[in-house]
Amino acid sequence: MNAIQIENLVRDYGAGKGVFDVSFHVKQGEAFGFLGPNGAGKTTTIRHLMGFLKPRSGKCIIDGLDCWNEREKVQAKLGYIPGEISFFDDMTGTEFLRFIAKYRRIGTQNRKEEILERFELDPSGKTKKMSKGMKQKLGIVAAFMHDPDILILDEPTSGLDPLMQSRFIDLIGEEKKRGKTILMSSHMFEEVERTCDRIGIIRKGRMVAVDAADTLRERHTRNYTVTLENESAAMAFARDFEGVRDGLKVTVTTKQSLEEIFMNYYGGEKHDKHGVI
Amino acid sequence: MINMALYKREMKGSIKLLVILGAIITMYVSIIISMYDPEMMKTLDSFAQAMPELMAAVGMNADAGTLLGFMVSYLYGFILLIFPMLFCVLRGNALVARYVDNGSMALLTAAPVKRRTIAFTQMTVLAGGIVLLVLYSTVLELICAESGFPGELDVTALLCLNGGLLCLHLFIGSICFLSSCLFSDTKYSVAFGAGIPIFMYVLQMLANVGGDAENAKYFTFFTLFRPEDILAGESGAAAGILILLAGCVLFYALGIIIFHRKDLHL
Repeated sequence: MNAIQIENLVRDYGAGKGVFDVSFHVKQGEAFGFLGPNGAGKTTTIRHLMGFLKPRSGKCIIDGLDCWNEREKVQAKLGYIPGEISFFDDMTGTEFLRFIAKYRRIGTQNRKEEILERFELDPSGKTKKMSKGMKQKLGIVAAFMHDPDILILDEPTSGLDPLMQSRFIDLIGEEKKRGKTILMSSHMFEEVERTCDRIGIIRKGRMVAVDAADTLRERHTRNYTVTLENESAAMAFARDFEGVRDGLKVTVTTKQSLEEIFMNYYGGEKHDKHGVI
Repeated sequence: MINMALYKREMKGSIKLLVILGAIITMYVSIIISMYDPEMMKTLDSFAQAMPELMAAVGMNADAGTLLGFMVSYLYGFILLIFPMLFCVLRGNALVARYVDNGSMALLTAAPVKRRTIAFTQMTVLAGGIVLLVLYSTVLELICAESGFPGELDVTALLCLNGGLLCLHLFIGSICFLSSCLFSDTKYSVAFGAGIPIFMYVLQMLANVGGDAENAKYFTFFTLFRPEDILAGESGAAAGILILLAGCVLFYALGIIIFHRKDLHL
């Protein structure tokens, strides 16, 4: 069964902005990576899934429910991290989490403490004074604390340091094992590649590829096997370049950079209309 | 229909403003009522009886001689219009449009709470604050009048008058609320939510000057609230209040429907 389904979604903002005839689906229990450069239409698509925007044509369905007409029923199943989080300026993080728990009526039996600990977040300060990373962590806690079945995450790791990014990716992995459906947008191929089963790439409002992550990985990684003079050189080489050593032979893997992958799909245009990719 | 967590949060957000406005109203109401001098009023009353035409020409009628008439002249033209209106403008904008503008509305809409419930809750907070302000003013007036001039005040008439005042402010609040629901940009929400009531008040001031400018009264809703006519028990006054009441119900409902259906770029 498809947990998330988007059919021929159109939203034209003019001047080539918006989403045009976007269709894809995310299966129950699947992690889907939604990849694209800035301004490609990731957030616009997600806003439709959240029931913030009414589709001009086409439709969005989550668990068999229409995302616009039955949005409050859909919302009961969702956890959401917005691309740009703003909190209520007058609240501390603690107050905010308590408010959201009451507002959603989820009671005190929730995962708040566990996730706060995981991200080493002290939410006692005013949200207004928090750094970008702290705000992002607070947003993660708010999205996960009611243990939703479906997670819609709009660039969830932006602002997090590498350690926290990797903790977040671990969390996503665990949630996936627990059978959660995940849709995660990103402009970083590595992040999506590590966590997602399938990947959709959007460009200028149109889906240019939807493929299994493995397929994309194969297509975009290259292996080189190098033979070195002696064993100690081979060991050093393997260590320095994270290769796999077999006697004097070392196999190293390179990933294409994001730019190259985008280039691949974007037909050689170096820059998108909206700036650097 | 109402989300208690949100209601409590927003009422907490109203308290500061309510206390400030309450303090200003307390100051003016107590000072002005204490300035009332029954002896002087009696003298004026006797003048009015002796030469009604002359006194009417200078804007004094027999009625203005009572404590309530005195209060109408000095409180219901400015103080009790402007300060509750300030509450409507500031809170009206903050309750919906500001959240949409700065993106925090996403926190409220990304939850299993109907948008209708969100808007209705915010409306209740706005209307609740207005009711509190008018109620407080009424109690304050009663206390000041009864302590300074026991038995002088026509309590029933005061309650009717403030009932009308409440309807006027609920109507102003509904304009601010509608504008807040309609516009996703604080700039426009304030421009209309504050602009319309202030413009209407300026027209009212013009109309009060008299002469040709008096025609301005046909273009401002403040004309629908006529304290003197309410005190005189004229049927036109009741009709004006009913129109305000109908208007505010319409605008609040419209605001909620618009918010329910609009696209939110959060």
